Amino acid sequence: MRVWIRGAAAIAVALLMAAAGCGGGGSDNKGSTSGGGGQEGGTISVLMGTAPDYLDPGLGYTTQSAEATWISYTPLLTYRHETGQAGGELMPGLATGQPQVSSDGKTYTLTLRRGLEFSDGRPVRASDFRYTIERSIRVNWGGKSFYTSYIAGAAAYDSGDASDISGITTDDATGRITIRLTEPYGAFPNVLAFPSSGLVPSGTPMRNLSNDPPPGVGPYMITNVSPNRSFTVRRNPRFASFNIPDIPTGHLDAVNVKVISNTQSEAQQVLNNEADVFDAGDTLPPSLLPQIESRASDRFERVPVPSTYYFFLNTTKPPFNNLKARQAVNYAIDREAMVRLASGFLEPSCFFIPRGLVGHPTSACPYGDRPDLARARQLVQQSGMAGTPVTVWGEERSPRREYVDYYTDLLNKIGFKATEKIIADAVYFPTIGNAKTDPQTGFADWIQDFPNPSDYYLLMDARAIQPTNNQNFSKVDDPFIQKELKRLNPVPATRLDSVADDWTRLDEYTARQAYVAAYGEESMPKFFSDRIAFDSAVFHPTYLNDWATFQLK
Amino acid sequence: MATVDSTVRAGATAARDADGGAAGIGPYRLALRRLRRNKAALAFGALFALIVVLCLCAPLYADRIAHTGPNANHVTDTVMVGGVSKDVVSPTGQPLGPTWHGRFLLGADQNGRDIAVRLLYGGRNSLEVGALATLLTMVLATIVGIAAGYFRGVVDGVLARILDLIWAYPVVLLGIALGTSLALGGIAIGPLQLQGNSLLVPAFIIGIVYIPYVAKPIRGQVLGLREQEFVDAARVGGAGPLRIMWSEILPNVSSTLVVFVPLMVANAILLEAALSYLGAGVQPPNPSWGTMISDGIRLIPSAMHLTFVPGAMLVLAVLGINVFGDGVRDALDPRAKVRLEERGEEASR
Repeated sequence: MRVWIRGAAAIAVALLMAAAGCGGGGSDNKGSTSGGGGQEGGTISVLMGTAPDYLDPGLGYTTQSAEATWISYTPLLTYRHETGQAGGELMPGLATGQPQVSSDGKTYTLTLRRGLEFSDGRPVRASDFRYTIERSIRVNWGGKSFYTSYIAGAAAYDSGDASDISGITTDDATGRITIRLTEPYGAFPNVLAFPSSGLVPSGTPMRNLSNDPPPGVGPYMITNVSPNRSFTVRRNPRFASFNIPDIPTGHLDAVNVKVISNTQSEAQQVLNNEADVFDAGDTLPPSLLPQIESRASDRFERVPVPSTYYFFLNTTKPPFNNLKARQAVNYAIDREAMVRLASGFLEPSCFFIPRGLVGHPTSACPYGDRPDLARARQLVQQSGMAGTPVTVWGEERSPRREYVDYYTDLLNKIGFKATEKIIADAVYFPTIGNAKTDPQTGFADWIQDFPNPSDYYLLMDARAIQPTNNQNFSKVDDPFIQKELKRLNPVPATRLDSVADDWTRLDEYTARQAYVAAYGEESMPKFFSDRIAFDSAVFHPTYLNDWATFQLK
Repeated sequence: MATVDSTVRAGATAARDADGGAAGIGPYRLALRRLRRNKAALAFGALFALIVVLCLCAPLYADRIAHTGPNANHVTDTVMVGGVSKDVVSPTGQPLGPTWHGRFLLGADQNGRDIAVRLLYGGRNSLEVGALATLLTMVLATIVGIAAGYFRGVVDGVLARILDLIWAYPVVLLGIALGTSLALGGIAIGPLQLQGNSLLVPAFIIGIVYIPYVAKPIRGQVLGLREQEFVDAARVGGAGPLRIMWSEILPNVSSTLVVFVPLMVANAILLEAALSYLGAGVQPPNPSWGTMISDGIRLIPSAMHLTFVPGAMLVLAVLGINVFGDGVRDALDPRAKVRLEERGEEASR
């Protein structure tokens, strides 16, 4: 019976595809059938609820940006194109192998593969690596403290005291790249795998090139950018000849990405097969969920992603420079309410390190399982901050708007005088990360850059506070956290388990200090049209939809 | 438009005969008499008045009947409906439908807020913005229109170009541009300090963008009036420009202004709804009919009432004030109706 149903389904799919070929559709469907059952070639359409923050690899820091840049700008090391934990494993990208690390953990040596070319035909040289890192620092990438805090000479370069990064030496003839660190950092190989470490040619202008992204080395390249509206990721014809193991060369000719702010329409189009991919960074509208689960169960899945959703609480200005005021928020917040606002796509939590990651506390939430408004009001009174005006910052897209509506009401209920400031999604994080804005509180989230608690603690690291593209929105500058990070960050990823308890204690301390009001971890929708081979499409734990593995049926 | 007031005065005698009015009745009393006979206009005027009264009673409804405020979230609360306890928002995020009882009469939105309460408060906000914007438009447009028409020359040249500049931009686009920028930073012009989320911000924006729509016809009418003998007589009598504009010109354009008021209220309410829908008007979490429609869009398939109810209120309010406004215009200028009908016949021929 089961075999027959599969056979019938295959025939039905074949007929549907034939019909689609005759009738035409929203997307080009030309291509030849590959040996694997799917087609080689063709074009798909991807809808995004919000535009990438930047399409310049040196600046992008949102999932929408990373989906495009990590397959267009391959770094020296990169992640396996796999689903789940396997996707968190590092492998050589443009480097010939894993880095050789000195015994003191402060020197990394890698060798660039030979014969590489950028998508515009220019040869790739080892010195391009140093230029790429310098450029990311100079254009103020949001995570630049990963470089400036650890690479020798990077801080001096950032401050303008040096004309280049003295800690990176390269040899174009041999392809040898040596990186000296100021202190050991266990997650440094992960830093080398950021899309911002993806090589661009020396001489690439040191300014935002999102509208005309620079050449890179990857299976795809970003073209036809219409800012905040659309862009295309087109196959890089040179890449396949490099024969880099385990990096897919891609099945599709092109991925057309369109920004559509209405998630209702976005989901409806994918459900009706008028578009092919729903942006995993968006939340499916609750009104469509029952239909999707019944009509599209074979092309929809909720995928838990290591992430933390929280409200940041600026510790440098009233009222949240007061511990009791911050704790009041944590006591008041109803995490079950947040789950409902997320249409069930959230797992409640009050800790900063998410489940599944080394260091996630298994102890009870210090603020209890249920909201305690009476205690929260009492704490606000004790803090002397009752009646303090608070501006809550938020994004337009759903359900983030709903989170902020709820949170604003909550702050008013416990004694603050809160109002909202909702701004466009595409400019939200650059705006709240700008020192001139200096927001009091608002929405924030973090999806892991790499499976290491130190990635999350970038957001609590005083060294990460920067004038633009700041990610430490709460502006946490805690001596205990700094001391612990100095001790824990050098531990290599392979020995993380040995310091799991230390990370746990640190995270419990952070929760007690209420530097943020964490409320949950997200599950993301893997939701495609009927045209895409669902099972073979990788949903990467860090970069979400891996278009390089997508294939038309 | 320049003909409305002069027609009222010039044609008063003829109109009096047609209306069977007695000699000595002023044009406004005459117009009121005509308006009373226009049952459709009165009915729609009453509908609009009813909506205004309902919206003004929002705090009363919220306190005494719904027991919740417009921005109060009840995401994890339950409510008894027909003896059964129901989630205000389900675990999958689906909001409660209408209960037809005091609490959540029209259901809840995604945040578990009472739709009926938000509808009334939203109406209050929409009407408040509409009224304030109209007041601003009428005052500034009257000053600009009369000054430009009376002084002509350089004054007219400068003012007319400014009006042209505003007119050149599509109203909604100009409103969005101003709305998004001012919503973020608020307004700070000398003593005028407004927070970005103040209702006065959209009122200010709408009030400004509609000025040319009133000022231009007024200017045209004043250009004709300033050549009239009664203006010459006042000038010969030693009256200065300000006095002439105040005591001779203004009364003669007042009926035009009266006709404009309901039309501008309707336009301002519609523009407020459009701007709020696009996020450039009333700022969240404050409700307005526009923001409520916008909020309800993503739940249309399962909770259409979230969009339909504020949309219906918006239509009724605008329809009410528009039909009433037409009635006022017909009452003040009965010939205008005849002219319109004649044009319609010509067009059909």
